[in-house]
Parts: sequence; structure tokens; C-alpha cells
Amino acid sequence: MPIRPYLQLDVFADRPGAGNPLGVVFDAADMDSATMQAYAAWANLSETIFFLPPTTPAADYRVRIFTPRQELPFAGHPSVGAAWAALDAGLLQPREGSLVQECAAGLLPVRIEQRDGLRVPHVRTPHASRVDAGDAHHNAVEIALQGLALGQLAPALWNNGPNWWLVELADDDAVRRMQPDLAAIASLTIASDAVGLAVFGRSPHADHQLAVRAFCPADGIPEDPVTGSVNASIAALMHSTGTLPGIDGRYVASQGRELGRDGRVEVQVDAEGEVWIGGQVQAVIRGHVDC
Amino acid sequence: MTSRRYAQLDVFAGRPGAGNPLAVVLDGAGLDDDTMQAIARWTRLPETTFVFPATQPEASYGIRIFSPRREVPFAGHPSVGTAHAVLEAGLATPRDGLLVQEGIAGLLPLRVEGSGPTRTIAVRTPRAKVMEIASPGDPRLRDVLATLPLGALPPALMDGGRRWWLAELRDEAALRAATPPWEAIGQLAQSTESMGLCVFARSDDPVYFLAVRAWVGAPAQFEDAASGAANATLAAWLASQDALPGNDGRYRISQGREVGHDAIIELYVDAEGDVWSGGRVCSVVDGQIAW
Repeated sequence: MPIRPYLQLDVFADRPGAGNPLGVVFDAADMDSATMQAYAAWANLSETIFFLPPTTPAADYRVRIFTPRQELPFAGHPSVGAAWAALDAGLLQPREGSLVQECAAGLLPVRIEQRDGLRVPHVRTPHASRVDAGDAHHNAVEIALQGLALGQLAPALWNNGPNWWLVELADDDAVRRMQPDLAAIASLTIASDAVGLAVFGRSPHADHQLAVRAFCPADGIPEDPVTGSVNASIAALMHSTGTLPGIDGRYVASQGRELGRDGRVEVQVDAEGEVWIGGQVQAVIRGHVDC
Repeated sequence: MTSRRYAQLDVFAGRPGAGNPLAVVLDGAGLDDDTMQAIARWTRLPETTFVFPATQPEASYGIRIFSPRREVPFAGHPSVGTAHAVLEAGLATPRDGLLVQEGIAGLLPLRVEGSGPTRTIAVRTPRAKVMEIASPGDPRLRDVLATLPLGALPPALMDGGRRWWLAELRDEAALRAATPPWEAIGQLAQSTESMGLCVFARSDDPVYFLAVRAWVGAPAQFEDAASGAANATLAAWLASQDALPGNDGRYRISQGREVGHDAIIELYVDAEGDVWSGGRVCSVVDGQIAW
């Protein structure tokens, strides 16, 4: 088996261990789907990505994204990590700070911000919209949220690929102290075909404006450390209600502290209402992989 | 942030992906307990080990073993894999074919045989005792064994640090086709403070003498892909019944095919009755970790 360059990154992290890990295998053009899936299962990271030459001149690079169980058309943290890895490996030069990623979901624009000598990628996320759940889940929502200090916005089901229940709590303190009723959340998410339930609360801290936690007990993940898709959906919900925190549609969300992580997701809603998510990336492991 | 040598290995495997994965940080000196635990949580592998200079003259190197949740005093596959990484990095050389690892459980010898890709490494395992020999009609075992076609030896409870129930099945085909009776295995594990049930059958295969499956009943229920410790207690049980397969106390077992792996473990019962458990190791990732 060939030896390929390998990186293991920490995404949405300002130091190693704060974010969400990602495996990156370069030079994967000769690997078939089954081999990629078998390696991703063995590596057991939430996602492993494989670099391939793009199939269209419009794209700068192409990646395939695998969880230990399946291939994903798109995912936030692997895409942020992919852009960082492509630049780190010298695969390309950004044109006016922009890149185009090719993945199974199609072509995806990426913006590279240069800050304090760091490259901070931001990816445009799939459009999010509210799912009209009617009153069908009213009781299940009440049970799952029993005893919590709710915020202004009503709990709602949103979709930007996966379905997420989004629940505003009174403030960041209520988010940090929440003791989730995982059985009730599992019942609600199974009944409504949602991947999980996320809570968010506004924060008075200078370095982040929102605290977020995401629970996916029905998927075998009681709490997810740092979640790109959920942060994108929360931004779309707040944008739709004119309640975005931060300045000029930009804010930072803090997620993962309750699990010993400390992820930071940079969120921006642009003039067209598109949601971009990004963050710092740490190269934790550099080497080669035999796969 | 310091850069340290890092390896990710597949233990008990003739090819990458067949065995049990392990991460090894080769320069552990200077890392505190919290940092080692954070790295072991971040790698998401069953175990991550850290190598230190030995503090006793008899020892070849020091080792600490962490699962994602806690430090582990001794475990078979991390010991075997770490010895491989230490040899590959040139950090120690065997004396009379032996390495001695210094860990929380004390000094433990590892036997190194052969070289290159067919090199095998085996660790001497803690002595296992026969706790109990049962009859198949034992009320505690009736539900577990009801659907399994039993072989010659009676069921037995072994203690080698952890407790395992062992049961011989009629032949390899019956073993591979068996469906684990999970509910009954869970009850058995809880009521007898054991890991669960390990079943085995004699095989005509030219490579291995036994096929093995290890069903963990509590706290979570899953089938283990490659169990160094369960197989060591099985070897002690067979030796106590004068029923060891193979020649001169040496034999190989096959485990893990039913869960997508294909591990080969080599067992050796020496003249003193000690059980050595080992096999081949594949290097998968080779590089540096910056933390």
C-alpha cells in the first residue's frame, strides 16, 4: 500500500485539543470508495477527508468526506479543515482570498481571512430554512425542555441538510448549566426525524457572543463537541428574526467546554443572507499514512 | 508547544485495518497527566500510550496507557503495539530477545521474535485463575447458552485481572454463524461481575487453531475485535484442562471477522505456565504530534 502525506487537524480550535479533530489523507486519487471507508472506520475520527484532483477547472481542489460509517456530501468542520490543509500543503494559491472546493454536494466557495499571520478559512454553508412541524411535537418539546429557562425565540425545527431543533435559553449561563434530559431529547428527535437538539444563549463576554451546546443522543452521541451545521442553522434562525448578535452580522460562538473542549466557531451572515462558518485550525499531527 | 514523535499502529494485524488500533507518543517526558488524558481523548482510539525513559536498570522503557476516559494499569494490545513503536524508533533493543516495560503494573517482559514485517511481539500476561467450572444447565448460563451448539469442554469462569466466561462451541462454522444473545450476556456480566462471554471453537484452518469471539456484556454491549486479555485467560483455561491446541504450547487464533476486522493473535504457554499474548503489528501513521 502506498505511503501518503497525512495531517490530523484540530478545527475551530485556537490551541490543540480545543476543537473537533479531522483526519486528512493527501494523494488519494488511486483509492476506491471501499478503501476510503475502511480507513475512516479504522481511524474512528468524526470525519476523515481524502484529497483528489478536481474534475472541473472551476474548482481548486476536491475532497471526499467520510465518517466511520458513511460518506457525506458536505460537512462544515471537514470543509474548513480541507481549505486550511490545501493551502498548508501548497496545493494552490487563493485568488483574491477565495477558493472553490469540490465535494460530493457540488462546488462550494471558501474565503480565506489572514489574521495575525494565521489563515482562517470560512466556508459558505448550504441554505437553512425553517421546517414547519405544526403542533405535532409540542408535547415532546415541552418534556425535553422541562425546567429550562427559555429565551425570547420560540423553539423551532430547522434544516440545512440535517434537521436540528434549535432552542434559545435565557443566557449563556443557562446553556452551560443545562443538565440535558437525553431520553426526552432522543424521543423528540426520533419522532421529528432530527439529528439532534441544540441550545444557545447570548453571552456578555468579549471573545464570544453566543454559547452553544448540541445533543444527538439518538445518534449515539450524547453531546457533540463542536458542530458546524448547528451553528449555521442557529445563525439563519437569528437572522430571520433580526436578532443576530455581534457586529455587521459577525459573531463568535463558544461550544464544547462542558466536554473538556473549547471550540470557537466564527459565524457571518452576509448581505445576501448566506451563512458562512469558519475558525482557526491547528495542525496537531503531521506525517505519513500507509492506507 | 513541543513536537514529539507519534505513531498510529494496528496491533494483532497482518495488514492495516485488520487489528486493534493504537496511538503512541514516543517522547512522553514533560507531559502531565491532564495533557496525556486530553491527547488520549482527542485521538479517539481505544488506547493511547506514552513512552518515557526507564527509571529502573532492568527496564527497557517506561509506559503509561490511557483510554479516552482514564488511565489503564495494564492492557495487552497497547503493550505489544508500544514495543513495536519503540523498536521502530530505535529507542530500545531487546536483550536475549526480551524487552522489559516499566508501567503502573510493574515490570513486564515482552518477547521479540523475527524481524521486518513478520516480526512478532508478545507480552507476558498476568496469571489467570479458574474461578469456577460450571455445567451448561447452570441457571445463570441457561439463557446465554440456549442457542449455542456447545463443544467438548464445560463452561468456565476465569479471572486474569478481568473475569470472562468461556464456552467451547462445536466447530468454527457454528461459531462464525452464532448470533450473540445480548440480553442474556448483559445479565450474566452484571450478575457475575464479569466482562461477558468469550466463545471459541477448534479450526482446520492452516493459519490458526482456534476461532474466537468475545462478547462484552456490561456496561455497554459490543463484540470485541481483538482481545489480548480474553485470549490469555482462554489459553490458561485450555492449559489447565490439558486441552491446548498447537505444538509446544504455541497456537494462533482468529478473531474479529464478524465485526469487520481480521485479527490473528499468537498465544504461548511457557514451561512455568505463564501465558504470552502477541502478534504482528502494522505501522499506519508515522509522524510528529504538536501539543
